[in-house]
Amino acid sequence: MNIEAKTKILVLDDEPIVLKRLGPALEKAGYVVEVYSRSADAFNRIQEAEFDIVITDLKMEGLDGMQFLLEVKERSPRTEVIVITGFATMETARESYQKGVFDFLAKPFKLGDILETVKKARLKMEQTHQA
Amino acid sequence: MNSLLKRVAEVFTRRGPARGRITFAALFQSFQRILELNNKILELMADMGEKLGGDYVFDRQYILASCREMGTQVYELIYNFNALAPKKHPALDKVFRRVNHDIEEELAGRLVIPQSKYVLAYEDISGDFGDVVGGKNTHIAEIRNRLGLAVPEGFAITTGAFRAFFEYNHMQAPLEQILKAWEEQNLSTEEASQKITRMITSGRLPPAMLRAMDKALKQLRKKTNKSTLMLAVRSSAMGEDSEHTFAGQYLSLLNEPPQHLTRSYIMVLAGAYTALAMEYRRQKGFSEHEVAMAVACQCMINAKVSGVLYTLDPVDPTREIMTISSTWGLGAPVVAGEVTTDQLQVARQFPYPVQDMTVARKTQRLMAKPSSGCEFQPVAEELQASLSLSDAQIRKLADAARSIERYFKCPQDIEWAFDHNDQLYILQARPLNVRSGIAPVVCDIAAVTEHYPILFSNKGVIVQNGIAAGKVFVVQQDSDLDQFPNGAILVARETSPRFAKVARKASGIITDIGSSTGHMAAIAREFRIPTIVNTEVATQLLHSRQEITLDAQENVVYVGRIKELCYYGFMEEAFEESYEYRLLRRVLKKITPLNLVDPQGKNFQPEACRSFHDITRFIHEKAVEELANFNFRQGMEEEAAARKLKTDIPLDLVIIDIRDGLSHAGDGPTVTQDQVRSIPMRAFLNGLEAPGIWSRDPMSVDFSSFMSSLTRTFAAQHANPQYMGQNLAVISAHYANINLRLGYHFNMIDAYIGDQLNDNYAYFRFLGGVTDPTRRSRRARFIYETLSQSNFSVDLRGDLVIGRIKKLERTMMEKKMFLLGQLVGFTRQLDVKMTSDQQISYFTKQFEELAKIEEPLNELGRQTP
Repeated sequence: MNIEAKTKILVLDDEPIVLKRLGPALEKAGYVVEVYSRSADAFNRIQEAEFDIVITDLKMEGLDGMQFLLEVKERSPRTEVIVITGFATMETARESYQKGVFDFLAKPFKLGDILETVKKARLKMEQTHQA
Repeated sequence: MNSLLKRVAEVFTRRGPARGRITFAALFQSFQRILELNNKILELMADMGEKLGGDYVFDRQYILASCREMGTQVYELIYNFNALAPKKHPALDKVFRRVNHDIEEELAGRLVIPQSKYVLAYEDISGDFGDVVGGKNTHIAEIRNRLGLAVPEGFAITTGAFRAFFEYNHMQAPLEQILKAWEEQNLSTEEASQKITRMITSGRLPPAMLRAMDKALKQLRKKTNKSTLMLAVRSSAMGEDSEHTFAGQYLSLLNEPPQHLTRSYIMVLAGAYTALAMEYRRQKGFSEHEVAMAVACQCMINAKVSGVLYTLDPVDPTREIMTISSTWGLGAPVVAGEVTTDQLQVARQFPYPVQDMTVARKTQRLMAKPSSGCEFQPVAEELQASLSLSDAQIRKLADAARSIERYFKCPQDIEWAFDHNDQLYILQARPLNVRSGIAPVVCDIAAVTEHYPILFSNKGVIVQNGIAAGKVFVVQQDSDLDQFPNGAILVARETSPRFAKVARKASGIITDIGSSTGHMAAIAREFRIPTIVNTEVATQLLHSRQEITLDAQENVVYVGRIKELCYYGFMEEAFEESYEYRLLRRVLKKITPLNLVDPQGKNFQPEACRSFHDITRFIHEKAVEELANFNFRQGMEEEAAARKLKTDIPLDLVIIDIRDGLSHAGDGPTVTQDQVRSIPMRAFLNGLEAPGIWSRDPMSVDFSSFMSSLTRTFAAQHANPQYMGQNLAVISAHYANINLRLGYHFNMIDAYIGDQLNDNYAYFRFLGGVTDPTRRSRRARFIYETLSQSNFSVDLRGDLVIGRIKKLERTMMEKKMFLLGQLVGFTRQLDVKMTSDQQISYFTKQFEELAKIEEPLNELGRQTP
């Protein structure tokens, strides 16, 4: 990964273990990562900073993932959003796709899968950028 | 399918209300549902177990959903089994409710403390007792019981006693109040700790607990034969000394007189709530409800020299050395860093040469006082500057350390002592954290492995991730397991749940065939033994005593021992310290451990089931037995709707097709062999008719009349004339239940062969005979030998032989059925010929020859001894 253009990723999930696993794995792969377990904190954070990729759960207490990703997309349309959720139904998947989500992963997923998805999202961003 | 079943039902109904007959189709349906559920449960178990492997990101929701699904399926399994064997095993319901309740409690965040005794002697503690007696006790007991190393004799006061103490003194509610205030930061850690400590130390022990402790002390006195017994009373909390060391967080009291045990015990309990311990738990993310303090009561060892050994150098784990700190007297100050110690570095391989050493000037030593407690004493002048360990002691210590490391499968931090008789005692063993030190080595794994020849790669299925290096040990039969060396890599043709016997010894498992969802796979995951199954080539390419490295991450088997890969295997992932990981592991402990290993064992009872796996295994085994026995019990004599099979050989066989076992079967009274579609039946018939097998000996030319002459003898022998009614097969597309009386004996074969590995089985029972018992038993031994060689699990009792084989893929199963056919044909009159013991091996060889031959060679079949 290119040092001067490190991809910035925000991860939001109310289950701490997901953050515990994803944070280090993404960092090891060369990304700059911020993790949040409370959607309110993540919400505040996106008001002040822009991220290249946002990974979020859908079902959470307080502000739910769907609202959060809408907010992300509105503030920064170029940000790619990856949805991770345990309540994997076609319904929610379709809904999130309509909201401009890049990809959708059902929990539990393999670390390799999410790294692959992030890589694809980054590739898409690069291509869009060049185009 | 239903219409066919209905047809069977109608056929039976027409014949009148004969008890039992009408239900066969329904029973068969239950049976098949049992097979389906068995498979699903094992898969879900594997799925959940896989999540512990480190590859997946999962959350609490996943654990909840999986547990509920598991519970539902096991419940349905029992329901179907009850339909198959009504009221036979009522205890299953009770076991299910208990296990399910425990899981629900865990999920609800309430730690399940097993309702066990207050006190357990070390000889009664085994590896999965961590929840009952804590990490320290479990490790010490395992080292004592499994590795046979000396540890201080003693007993554990359980976590159940901990909870009983709180209940007896009505402390649970106030404790929770204080903790709540502390968690909400309305109370400082110091204040909370003081309040709790005051409360605990004012408590009293329930009378039953006092009695139990008294009894244990008496037994300990008897065992140790000591007039003055002094104790070490130490904490052994759940989680302590396992995933988390809690090193030095809790309390240890040394040289306590037994009459003070009550007081010592309460003090150690209170030690769970020192400010230090509470802060430690808070930092590590431990829930307070996870706290359960068991206590170790051990004989005080009058140590001449003690210390600590690390099986790897934590500073530089790549150096292949063990480090030893050693000093005169008791070891407590070594851990606390209160005395100077000799420092040794010894090689990790036998004979453990010393590579470096610093002898310190040791002026003080901690000694037990005659009354109680300990004190520092000056070391005699001449001993101060001399090395505290002899060469022989170093070797003895290193040897013990390596076997402990192999056993627990990670580097160890071991406290040890030699007494004045030069006896080595292991006082404590816990995982050594070397993670940070190993990390740099991991990076150039690819470069390292390039230098080692690959034996085979990408064969088979990885069942459990991990890396193992060691010597191969090929297991050909169950009895081989008794000789299994510590640390060896188990290689076998087929997977077997019997391997559980050596699960603690094996550092890896490789098999030719097997599935990733079988019983053994669950065991491999439970014990985290790096395992690859279905390699097809393992037993061909590997031989006993060969040194290999098994990389069950990249799916490679290398020639030789690759230490770098082993270090990589030592590296534990941090997520294993998370609450979710521990929760999943705890619920899996209620789900996956397999205690019912041996169907012939005494404990193969519903009452002995402790996990969902046990229940599943029990039902699977018993369901097969139930169906196999069905024909025996009910009898199925001549049957109007049944059809006679036309064969070249004089086989008087009637077939009842319950579902798709025959193709285009009209209403005619006979069927041809071509019409048989049932997979197991076809294979069996092919074997029976294989060239050379069906001996044309004069004795059996007039087969039917010969048979009828025997009927009377049989009837007299078995008191149930229905047995002799008809040669009968109940078949479906994948199933066959075959009852044959041929020549002198009675054969029963029950088999299911489909595309699901886990469903497949063949059960063979051989019984009866008209010759003298010696000849009959010779024949039985011949069958025993032959089946054993063909990898059946065989049980031989007199002239009753029961062979079982299962979970092979379809073509393999067909081969086994073919073999059974051959065997049945070959043995049908053998006992007349079995005039000497030598003939057992003669016929075994002859049969082997025949079984190999593909082209017709009738000559061989005609040979007589």
